[in-house]
Amino acid sequence: MSYKSELGRTWWLKNPAFKAYMLREATVLPLVFFILCMLAGIYSLGKGEQAWQSWVVVMGNPLVLTLNALALVASLYHAATFFVLFPRVMPVRLGGQKVPDNLIVIAQWAGVAAVFVLAAWVFWGVL
Amino acid sequence: MKTMEIRIQRYLPEQHSVPQVESYQVPFDDSTSVLDALNHIKEEQDSSLSYRWSCRMAICGSCGFMIDGEPKLGCKVFLRDYAAAGTVLIEPLAHFPVERDLVVDLEQFMQHLDAIQPYIIKDRPNGVTEMRPNKQTPAQLDKYQQFAACINCGLCYSACPQFGLNPEFLGPGALALAHRYNLDSRDEGRAERMPLINSDEGAWSCTFVGYCSEVCPQQVDPAAAVNQAKVLSAQDMVLQLFRRKKG
Amino acid sequence: MRKAVKRSDEPVWWALFSGGGVCFAILVPAAAFFLALALPLGWVSLDHEQALAAFTSIFGVVFAGGVIALPAFHAAHRIRHGLYDLKFGARGLIKWLAYGLATLASIYALGCWFVRFLL
Repeated sequence: MSYKSELGRTWWLKNPAFKAYMLREATVLPLVFFILCMLAGIYSLGKGEQAWQSWVVVMGNPLVLTLNALALVASLYHAATFFVLFPRVMPVRLGGQKVPDNLIVIAQWAGVAAVFVLAAWVFWGVL
Repeated sequence: MKTMEIRIQRYLPEQHSVPQVESYQVPFDDSTSVLDALNHIKEEQDSSLSYRWSCRMAICGSCGFMIDGEPKLGCKVFLRDYAAAGTVLIEPLAHFPVERDLVVDLEQFMQHLDAIQPYIIKDRPNGVTEMRPNKQTPAQLDKYQQFAACINCGLCYSACPQFGLNPEFLGPGALALAHRYNLDSRDEGRAERMPLINSDEGAWSCTFVGYCSEVCPQQVDPAAAVNQAKVLSAQDMVLQLFRRKKG
Repeated sequence: MRKAVKRSDEPVWWALFSGGGVCFAILVPAAAFFLALALPLGWVSLDHEQALAAFTSIFGVVFAGGVIALPAFHAAHRIRHGLYDLKFGARGLIKWLAYGLATLASIYALGCWFVRFLL
Protein backbone atom coordinates (compact mmCIF):
# COMPACT_ATOMS: atom_id res chain seq x y z
CA MET A 1 0.00 0.00 0.00
CA SER A 2 1.94 3.07 -1.18
CA TYR A 3 1.62 6.42 0.53
CA LYS A 4 0.91 9.58 -1.50
CA SER A 5 0.74 13.01 0.00
CA GLU A 6 -0.91 15.97 -1.74
CA LEU A 7 0.87 19.30 -2.15
CA GLY A 8 -0.59 21.83 0.27
CA ARG A 9 -1.39 25.44 -0.61
CA THR A 10 1.82 26.59 1.08
CA TRP A 11 4.22 24.34 -0.85
CA TRP A 12 6.12 27.39 -2.06
CA LEU A 13 7.09 28.47 1.48
CA LYS A 14 9.16 25.30 1.92
CA ASN A 15 12.09 26.24 -0.33
CA PRO A 16 13.96 29.49 -1.18
CA ALA A 17 13.77 28.68 -4.91
CA PHE A 18 9.98 28.51 -4.71
CA LYS A 19 9.73 31.73 -2.68
CA ALA A 20 11.81 33.54 -5.29
CA TYR A 21 9.50 32.17 -7.99
CA MET A 22 6.37 33.43 -6.19
CA LEU A 23 8.00 36.82 -5.64
CA ARG A 24 8.77 37.00 -9.36
CA GLU A 25 5.17 36.17 -10.21
CA ALA A 26 3.92 38.69 -7.64
CA THR A 27 5.69 41.56 -9.45
CA VAL A 28 2.56 41.86 -11.58
CA LEU A 29 0.48 42.97 -8.60
CA PRO A 30 2.01 46.47 -8.33
CA LEU A 31 1.99 46.48 -12.15
CA VAL A 32 -1.80 46.12 -12.11
CA PHE A 33 -2.05 49.12 -9.77
CA PHE A 34 0.21 51.13 -12.07
CA ILE A 35 -1.87 50.18 -15.12
CA LEU A 36 -5.05 51.28 -13.36
CA CYS A 37 -3.37 54.63 -12.61
CA MET A 38 -2.44 54.99 -16.26
CA LEU A 39 -5.98 54.16 -17.39
CA ALA A 40 -7.26 56.80 -14.96
CA GLY A 41 -4.75 59.18 -16.52
CA ILE A 42 -6.05 58.57 -20.04
CA TYR A 43 -9.60 59.07 -18.79
CA SER A 44 -8.68 62.34 -17.07
CA LEU A 45 -6.82 63.50 -20.16
CA GLY A 46 -9.98 63.11 -22.18
CA LYS A 47 -12.10 64.97 -19.64
CA GLY A 48 -10.09 68.19 -19.84
CA GLU A 49 -7.67 70.49 -18.03
CA GLN A 50 -9.36 70.32 -14.61
CA ALA A 51 -9.56 66.52 -14.58
CA TRP A 52 -5.95 66.20 -15.72
CA GLN A 53 -4.67 68.41 -12.89
CA SER A 54 -6.75 66.44 -10.39
CA TRP A 55 -5.24 63.23 -11.66
CA VAL A 56 -1.69 64.58 -11.22
CA VAL A 57 -2.59 65.64 -7.66
CA VAL A 58 -4.05 62.21 -6.80
CA MET A 59 -0.93 60.56 -8.25
CA GLY A 60 1.00 62.62 -5.69
CA ASN A 61 -0.88 61.06 -2.76
CA PRO A 62 1.70 59.32 -0.50
CA LEU A 63 0.03 55.90 -0.69
CA VAL A 64 -0.28 56.11 -4.48
CA LEU A 65 3.34 57.23 -4.77
CA THR A 66 4.47 54.34 -2.56
CA LEU A 67 2.58 51.75 -4.59
CA ASN A 68 3.90 53.13 -7.86
CA ALA A 69 7.44 53.25 -6.48
CA LEU A 70 6.87 49.58 -5.64
CA ALA A 71 5.72 49.09 -9.25
CA LEU A 72 9.00 50.61 -10.44
CA VAL A 73 11.02 48.28 -8.19
CA ALA A 74 8.86 45.35 -9.33
CA SER A 75 9.44 46.19 -13.00
CA LEU A 76 13.20 46.19 -12.44
CA TYR A 77 13.11 42.87 -10.53
CA HIS A 78 10.96 41.42 -13.31
CA ALA A 79 13.45 42.72 -15.88
CA ALA A 80 16.36 41.13 -14.02
CA THR A 81 14.66 37.71 -13.93
CA PHE A 82 13.16 37.98 -17.43
CA PHE A 83 16.44 38.95 -19.12
CA VAL A 84 18.27 35.85 -17.85
CA LEU A 85 15.43 33.55 -18.92
CA PHE A 86 15.21 34.97 -22.44
CA PRO A 87 18.48 33.52 -23.87
CA ARG A 88 17.55 30.13 -22.42
CA VAL A 89 14.22 30.16 -24.26
CA MET A 90 15.57 31.56 -27.52
CA PRO A 91 19.29 30.83 -27.78
CA VAL A 92 20.79 33.14 -30.40
CA ARG A 93 23.22 31.67 -32.89
CA LEU A 94 25.36 33.93 -35.09
CA GLY A 95 27.42 32.23 -37.79
CA GLY A 96 27.28 28.78 -36.23
CA GLN A 97 28.33 30.00 -32.79
CA LYS A 98 26.06 30.48 -29.80
CA VAL A 99 26.02 34.08 -28.57
CA PRO A 100 26.99 34.07 -24.86
CA ASP A 101 24.02 34.45 -22.51
CA ASN A 102 25.45 37.41 -20.61
CA LEU A 103 25.79 39.40 -23.84
CA ILE A 104 22.06 38.94 -24.46
CA VAL A 105 21.34 40.04 -20.89
CA ILE A 106 23.49 43.18 -21.28
CA ALA A 107 21.82 44.00 -24.60
CA GLN A 108 18.39 43.88 -22.95
CA TRP A 109 19.48 46.17 -20.10
CA ALA A 110 20.85 48.52 -22.78
CA GLY A 111 17.30 48.61 -24.13
CA VAL A 112 15.98 49.68 -20.72
CA ALA A 113 18.62 52.40 -20.52
CA ALA A 114 17.82 53.58 -24.04
CA VAL A 115 14.14 54.01 -23.17
CA PHE A 116 15.12 56.02 -20.07
CA VAL A 117 17.35 58.25 -22.20
CA LEU A 118 14.57 58.71 -24.75
CA ALA A 119 12.05 59.58 -22.04
CA ALA A 120 14.49 62.00 -20.43
CA TRP A 121 15.00 63.68 -23.81
CA VAL A 122 11.22 63.94 -24.26
CA PHE A 123 10.60 65.44 -20.81
CA TRP A 124 13.67 67.56 -20.27
CA GLY A 125 14.63 68.26 -23.90
CA VAL A 126 12.25 69.17 -26.65
CA LEU A 127 8.91 68.87 -24.82
CA MET B 1 35.50 9.21 14.95
CA LYS B 2 32.87 11.96 14.79
CA THR B 3 29.22 11.03 14.59
CA MET B 4 26.20 12.97 13.49
CA GLU B 5 22.46 12.45 13.52
CA ILE B 6 20.79 11.12 10.39
CA ARG B 7 17.01 11.40 10.48
CA ILE B 8 15.25 9.20 7.95
CA GLN B 9 11.59 9.10 6.96
CA ARG B 10 10.62 5.46 7.42
CA TYR B 11 7.53 3.82 5.97
CA LEU B 12 6.88 0.10 6.40
CA PRO B 13 3.33 -0.43 5.07
CA GLU B 14 2.88 -3.58 7.13
CA GLN B 15 3.64 -1.64 10.34
CA HIS B 16 2.87 2.05 9.71
CA SER B 17 -0.23 3.79 8.47
CA VAL B 18 1.74 6.98 7.84
CA PRO B 19 5.45 7.63 7.35
CA GLN B 20 7.47 8.55 10.44
CA VAL B 21 10.93 9.95 11.02
CA GLU B 22 13.49 7.84 12.88
CA SER B 23 16.88 8.98 14.10
CA TYR B 24 20.28 7.26 13.80
CA GLN B 25 23.82 8.20 14.87
CA VAL B 26 26.33 7.61 12.09
CA PRO B 27 30.15 7.89 12.23
CA PHE B 28 31.56 10.02 9.42
CA ASP B 29 34.63 11.72 8.04
CA ASP B 30 35.22 14.13 5.16
CA SER B 31 34.60 11.44 2.55
CA THR B 32 31.34 10.00 3.91
CA SER B 33 28.44 10.47 1.51
CA VAL B 34 24.75 10.23 2.40
CA LEU B 35 24.72 6.92 0.51
CA ASP B 36 27.64 5.69 2.65
CA ALA B 37 25.61 6.67 5.73
CA LEU B 38 22.57 4.73 4.51
CA ASN B 39 24.71 1.67 3.77
CA HIS B 40 26.24 1.91 7.25
CA ILE B 41 22.82 2.08 8.89
CA LYS B 42 21.54 -0.89 6.89
CA GLU B 43 24.63 -2.99 7.54
CA GLU B 44 25.26 -2.11 11.20
CA GLN B 45 22.07 -0.77 12.74
CA ASP B 46 18.80 -1.49 10.97
CA SER B 47 18.66 -3.99 8.12
CA SER B 48 14.99 -3.19 7.48
CA LEU B 49 15.91 0.12 5.83
CA SER B 50 15.06 0.15 2.10
CA TYR B 51 16.51 2.49 -0.55
CA ARG B 52 17.73 2.37 -4.16
CA TRP B 53 21.37 2.71 -5.15
CA SER B 54 23.84 1.26 -7.62
CA CYS B 55 26.89 2.93 -9.14
CA ARG B 56 27.69 5.26 -6.18
CA MET B 57 29.24 7.67 -8.67
CA ALA B 58 26.33 9.85 -9.86
CA ILE B 59 25.78 8.23 -13.26
CA CYS B 60 23.10 5.59 -12.73
CA GLY B 61 20.53 7.96 -11.27
CA SER B 62 19.23 5.45 -8.68
CA CYS B 63 19.91 7.14 -5.33
CA GLY B 64 17.75 10.24 -5.50
CA PHE B 65 16.40 11.49 -2.12
CA MET B 66 15.14 14.69 -0.52
CA ILE B 67 18.08 15.77 1.63
CA ASP B 68 17.05 18.56 4.01
CA GLY B 69 14.18 19.25 1.62
CA GLU B 70 16.24 19.44 -1.57
CA PRO B 71 16.27 16.74 -4.26
CA LYS B 72 19.81 15.36 -4.52
CA LEU B 73 21.74 12.18 -5.30
CA GLY B 74 22.84 10.43 -2.10
CA CYS B 75 26.19 9.44 -3.54
CA LYS B 76 26.98 13.04 -4.47
CA VAL B 77 26.15 14.67 -1.12
CA PHE B 78 28.61 14.62 1.77
CA LEU B 79 27.80 14.59 5.49
CA ARG B 80 30.62 17.06 6.12
CA ASP B 81 28.38 19.79 4.61
CA TYR B 82 25.74 19.14 7.29
CA ALA B 83 28.20 18.70 10.16
CA ALA B 84 27.73 22.28 11.38
CA ALA B 85 24.01 21.63 11.89
CA GLY B 86 24.83 18.23 13.38
CA THR B 87 21.80 16.65 11.75
CA VAL B 88 20.37 15.95 8.29
CA LEU B 89 16.91 14.79 7.22
CA ILE B 90 16.54 12.21 4.45
CA GLU B 91 13.14 11.69 2.85
CA PRO B 92 11.96 9.90 -0.28
CA LEU B 93 11.81 11.87 -3.56
CA ALA B 94 8.91 14.30 -3.45
CA HIS B 95 5.84 14.15 -5.71
CA PHE B 96 5.97 10.35 -6.09
CA PRO B 97 4.01 7.76 -4.08
CA VAL B 98 6.17 6.17 -1.38
CA GLU B 99 6.31 2.38 -1.60
CA ARG B 100 8.58 1.70 1.34
CA ASP B 101 11.03 3.86 3.31
CA LEU B 102 13.03 5.81 0.69
CA VAL B 103 11.77 3.80 -2.29
CA VAL B 104 9.25 5.67 -4.46
CA ASP B 105 6.98 4.51 -7.24
CA LEU B 106 8.45 6.03 -10.41
CA GLU B 107 5.82 4.58 -12.74
CA GLN B 108 4.38 7.99 -13.72
CA PHE B 109 7.86 9.19 -14.71
CA MET B 110 8.48 6.02 -16.73
CA GLN B 111 5.15 6.40 -18.53
CA HIS B 112 5.90 10.00 -19.48
CA LEU B 113 9.35 9.03 -20.82
CA ASP B 114 7.80 6.28 -22.92
CA ALA B 115 4.99 8.50 -24.19
CA ILE B 116 7.30 10.96 -25.96
CA GLN B 117 9.02 8.18 -27.94
CA PRO B 118 12.62 8.67 -26.78
CA TYR B 119 14.39 7.15 -29.79
CA ILE B 120 15.37 8.13 -33.33
CA ILE B 121 12.28 7.89 -35.52
CA LYS B 122 12.82 7.51 -39.25
CA ASP B 123 10.24 8.33 -41.88
CA ARG B 124 9.90 5.15 -43.96
CA PRO B 125 7.10 5.78 -46.52
CA ASN B 126 7.79 2.59 -48.43
CA GLY B 127 7.70 0.49 -45.29
CA VAL B 128 11.08 -0.93 -46.31
CA THR B 129 13.91 -0.92 -43.83
CA GLU B 130 16.63 1.07 -45.58
CA MET B 131 20.17 1.07 -44.26
CA ARG B 132 21.27 4.68 -44.45
CA PRO B 133 24.37 5.99 -42.72
CA ASN B 134 23.48 8.43 -39.93
CA LYS B 135 26.14 11.10 -40.38
CA GLN B 136 26.20 14.10 -38.08
CA THR B 137 28.52 17.08 -37.89
CA PRO B 138 29.88 18.40 -34.56
CA ALA B 139 27.65 21.47 -34.99
CA GLN B 140 24.58 19.25 -35.36
CA LEU B 141 25.59 17.30 -32.27
CA ASP B 142 26.10 20.50 -30.33
CA LYS B 143 22.45 21.49 -30.89
CA TYR B 144 21.08 18.70 -28.70
CA GLN B 145 24.03 17.22 -26.79
CA GLN B 146 23.36 19.01 -23.52
CA PHE B 147 19.81 17.62 -23.41
CA ALA B 148 21.10 14.07 -24.05
CA ALA B 149 22.99 13.95 -20.75
CA CYS B 150 19.93 12.93 -18.71
CA ILE B 151 20.41 9.92 -16.38
CA ASN B 152 16.69 9.57 -15.58
CA CYS B 153 17.27 10.18 -11.87
CA GLY B 154 13.92 11.92 -11.38
CA LEU B 155 15.30 14.79 -9.24
CA CYS B 156 13.74 17.32 -11.63
CA TYR B 157 10.31 15.81 -11.02
CA SER B 158 10.74 16.25 -7.30
CA ALA B 159 11.84 19.82 -7.92
CA CYS B 160 8.93 20.66 -10.19
CA PRO B 161 5.89 22.10 -8.37
CA GLN B 162 3.76 21.80 -11.51
CA PHE B 163 4.37 18.03 -11.53
CA GLY B 164 3.67 18.04 -7.81
CA LEU B 165 0.34 19.78 -8.43
CA ASN B 166 -0.52 17.61 -11.44
CA PRO B 167 1.26 14.30 -12.10
CA GLU B 168 -0.32 14.16 -15.56
CA PHE B 169 2.16 16.88 -16.58
CA LEU B 170 4.81 15.21 -18.78
CA GLY B 171 7.45 16.90 -16.64
CA PRO B 172 10.94 18.33 -17.17
CA GLY B 173 12.77 15.04 -17.85
CA ALA B 174 10.41 13.66 -20.49
CA LEU B 175 10.02 17.03 -22.21
CA ALA B 176 13.77 17.64 -22.26
CA LEU B 177 14.23 14.20 -23.80
CA ALA B 178 11.50 14.87 -26.38
CA HIS B 179 13.21 18.14 -27.26
CA ARG B 180 16.57 16.30 -27.46
CA TYR B 181 15.17 14.06 -30.18
CA ASN B 182 13.37 16.88 -31.96
CA LEU B 183 16.69 18.71 -32.22
CA ASP B 184 18.63 15.64 -33.40
CA SER B 185 19.36 15.93 -37.13
CA ARG B 186 19.04 12.14 -37.51
CA ASP B 187 15.47 12.15 -36.19
CA GLU B 188 12.40 12.50 -38.42
CA GLY B 189 9.76 12.01 -35.74
CA ARG B 190 8.96 15.55 -34.60
CA ALA B 191 5.42 15.34 -35.98
CA GLU B 192 4.76 12.29 -33.82
CA ARG B 193 5.96 14.01 -30.65
CA MET B 194 4.32 17.40 -31.16
CA PRO B 195 0.73 16.44 -30.24
CA LEU B 196 1.84 15.52 -26.71
CA ILE B 197 4.09 18.58 -26.41
CA ASN B 198 1.26 20.79 -27.71
CA SER B 199 -1.24 19.57 -25.12
CA ASP B 200 -2.04 21.19 -21.76
CA GLU B 201 -0.03 18.48 -20.03
CA GLY B 202 2.88 18.99 -22.42
CA ALA B 203 5.16 21.99 -22.42
CA TRP B 204 2.28 24.29 -21.47
CA SER B 205 2.00 23.17 -17.85
CA CYS B 206 5.46 24.62 -17.24
CA THR B 207 5.69 28.07 -15.64
CA PHE B 208 9.50 28.29 -15.77
CA VAL B 209 10.05 27.96 -12.04
CA GLY B 210 13.48 26.74 -13.14
CA TYR B 211 14.24 24.71 -10.02
CA CYS B 212 14.48 21.54 -12.12
CA SER B 213 17.58 22.91 -13.82
CA GLU B 214 19.09 23.88 -10.47
CA VAL B 215 18.86 20.32 -9.09
CA CYS B 216 19.86 18.41 -12.24
CA PRO B 217 23.12 16.55 -11.47
CA GLN B 218 24.05 16.51 -15.17
CA GLN B 219 23.43 20.21 -16.00
CA VAL B 220 20.88 19.21 -18.64
CA ASP B 221 18.94 22.46 -18.07
CA PRO B 222 15.51 20.88 -18.61
CA ALA B 223 13.83 24.25 -18.00
CA ALA B 224 15.52 25.62 -21.11
CA ALA B 225 14.47 22.55 -23.09
CA VAL B 226 10.82 22.77 -22.03
CA ASN B 227 10.61 26.48 -22.80
CA GLN B 228 12.36 26.05 -26.16
CA ALA B 229 9.73 23.37 -26.79
CA LYS B 230 7.07 26.03 -26.09
CA VAL B 231 8.50 28.10 -28.94
CA LEU B 232 8.38 25.09 -31.28
CA SER B 233 4.85 24.32 -30.12
CA ALA B 234 3.70 27.90 -30.79
CA GLN B 235 5.31 27.78 -34.25
CA ASP B 236 3.60 24.44 -34.82
CA MET B 237 0.23 26.01 -33.98
CA VAL B 238 0.76 28.79 -36.52
CA LEU B 239 1.94 26.35 -39.20
CA GLN B 240 -1.14 24.22 -38.53
CA LEU B 241 -3.32 27.20 -39.48
CA PHE B 242 -1.61 27.42 -42.88
CA ARG B 243 -1.79 23.67 -43.42
CA ARG B 244 -5.53 23.74 -42.75
CA LYS B 245 -6.09 26.64 -45.15
CA LYS B 246 -4.30 24.80 -47.98
CA GLY B 247 -5.91 21.36 -47.69
CA MET C 1 -1.82 4.20 -32.49
CA ARG C 2 -1.70 6.58 -29.56
CA LYS C 3 -4.95 8.22 -28.49
CA ALA C 4 -5.53 11.77 -29.73
CA VAL C 5 -4.68 14.60 -27.32
CA LYS C 6 -6.24 18.03 -27.56
CA ARG C 7 -3.97 20.92 -28.60
CA SER C 8 -3.74 23.56 -25.89
CA ASP C 9 -4.66 27.17 -26.67
CA GLU C 10 -1.86 28.32 -24.36
CA PRO C 11 0.44 29.52 -27.19
CA VAL C 12 -1.89 32.49 -27.76
CA TRP C 13 -1.81 33.63 -24.13
CA TRP C 14 1.87 32.78 -23.79
CA ALA C 15 2.73 34.92 -26.83
CA LEU C 16 0.82 37.86 -25.31
CA PHE C 17 2.48 37.15 -21.94
CA SER C 18 5.92 37.15 -23.59
CA GLY C 19 5.28 40.38 -25.49
CA GLY C 20 3.94 41.91 -22.33
CA GLY C 21 6.98 40.69 -20.44
CA VAL C 22 9.31 42.46 -22.84
CA CYS C 23 7.26 45.68 -22.46
CA PHE C 24 7.06 45.34 -18.67
CA ALA C 25 10.83 45.00 -18.55
CA ILE C 26 11.83 47.62 -21.12
CA LEU C 27 9.08 50.26 -21.25
CA VAL C 28 7.38 50.21 -17.85
CA PRO C 29 10.43 51.21 -15.72
CA ALA C 30 10.78 54.54 -17.56
CA ALA C 31 7.01 55.03 -17.73
CA ALA C 32 6.61 54.39 -14.01
CA PHE C 33 9.54 56.65 -13.14
CA PHE C 34 8.50 59.61 -15.28
CA LEU C 35 4.68 59.44 -15.13
CA ALA C 36 4.06 57.99 -11.68
CA LEU C 37 6.94 59.48 -9.71
CA ALA C 38 8.66 62.40 -11.49
CA LEU C 39 5.47 64.05 -12.72
CA PRO C 40 3.47 64.11 -9.46
CA LEU C 41 6.65 65.04 -7.53
CA GLY C 42 7.28 67.97 -9.86
CA TRP C 43 10.61 66.78 -11.25
CA VAL C 44 9.07 67.04 -14.72
CA SER C 45 6.11 69.09 -15.88
CA LEU C 46 3.41 67.99 -18.27
CA ASP C 47 0.38 70.25 -18.62
CA HIS C 48 -2.88 69.15 -20.20
CA GLU C 49 -2.03 70.55 -23.61
CA GLN C 50 1.37 68.86 -23.71
CA ALA C 51 -0.06 65.56 -22.46
CA LEU C 52 -2.76 65.63 -25.11
CA ALA C 53 -0.21 66.36 -27.85
CA ALA C 54 1.98 63.50 -26.60
CA PHE C 55 -0.87 61.00 -26.31
CA THR C 56 -2.32 61.77 -29.74
CA SER C 57 1.12 61.40 -31.31
CA ILE C 58 2.86 58.15 -32.17
CA PHE C 59 4.03 57.99 -28.54
CA GLY C 60 0.41 57.47 -27.61
CA VAL C 61 -0.02 54.17 -29.42
CA VAL C 62 3.33 52.96 -28.03
CA PHE C 63 2.05 53.94 -24.59
CA ALA C 64 -1.40 52.41 -25.02
CA GLY C 65 0.00 49.21 -26.53
CA GLY C 66 3.32 48.82 -24.77
CA VAL C 67 2.70 50.26 -21.32
CA ILE C 68 -0.96 49.28 -20.88
CA ALA C 69 -2.26 46.60 -23.26
CA LEU C 70 0.56 44.08 -23.46
CA PRO C 71 1.60 44.41 -19.80
CA ALA C 72 -2.07 43.90 -18.89
CA PHE C 73 -2.03 40.52 -20.66
CA HIS C 74 1.28 39.72 -19.00
CA ALA C 75 -0.24 40.44 -15.59
CA ALA C 76 -3.43 38.51 -16.40
CA HIS C 77 -1.43 35.43 -17.43
CA ARG C 78 0.73 35.48 -14.30
CA ILE C 79 -2.24 36.07 -12.00
CA ARG C 80 -4.17 33.26 -13.68
CA HIS C 81 -1.31 30.76 -13.35
CA GLY C 82 -0.38 32.10 -9.90
CA LEU C 83 -3.88 31.41 -8.60
CA TYR C 84 -3.60 27.87 -10.00
CA ASP C 85 -0.27 27.50 -8.18
CA LEU C 86 -2.05 28.56 -4.98
CA LYS C 87 -4.56 25.75 -5.62
CA PHE C 88 -7.55 27.94 -6.44
CA GLY C 89 -10.27 26.13 -8.35
CA ALA C 90 -12.60 27.65 -10.95
CA ARG C 91 -9.89 27.52 -13.63
CA GLY C 92 -12.20 28.39 -16.48
CA LEU C 93 -13.75 31.35 -14.69
CA ILE C 94 -10.36 32.73 -13.60
CA LYS C 95 -8.96 32.33 -17.12
CA TRP C 96 -11.71 34.25 -18.86
CA LEU C 97 -11.94 36.90 -16.11
CA ALA C 98 -8.20 37.53 -16.28
CA TYR C 99 -7.92 37.80 -20.07
CA GLY C 100 -11.31 39.52 -20.28
CA LEU C 101 -10.19 42.34 -17.99
CA ALA C 102 -6.90 42.64 -19.88
CA THR C 103 -8.89 42.86 -23.13
CA LEU C 104 -11.11 45.60 -21.72
CA ALA C 105 -8.10 47.60 -20.53
CA SER C 106 -6.47 47.18 -23.95
CA ILE C 107 -9.58 48.14 -25.89
CA TYR C 108 -10.03 51.23 -23.75
CA ALA C 109 -6.43 52.42 -23.98
CA LEU C 110 -6.01 51.69 -27.69
CA GLY C 111 -9.55 52.82 -28.43
CA CYS C 112 -8.91 56.21 -26.85
CA TRP C 113 -5.92 56.62 -29.13
CA PHE C 114 -7.73 55.55 -32.29
CA VAL C 115 -11.04 57.29 -31.66
CA ARG C 116 -9.76 60.27 -29.66
CA PHE C 117 -11.21 59.33 -26.27
CA LEU C 118 -14.19 57.00 -26.15
CA LEU C 119 -15.68 58.20 -22.89
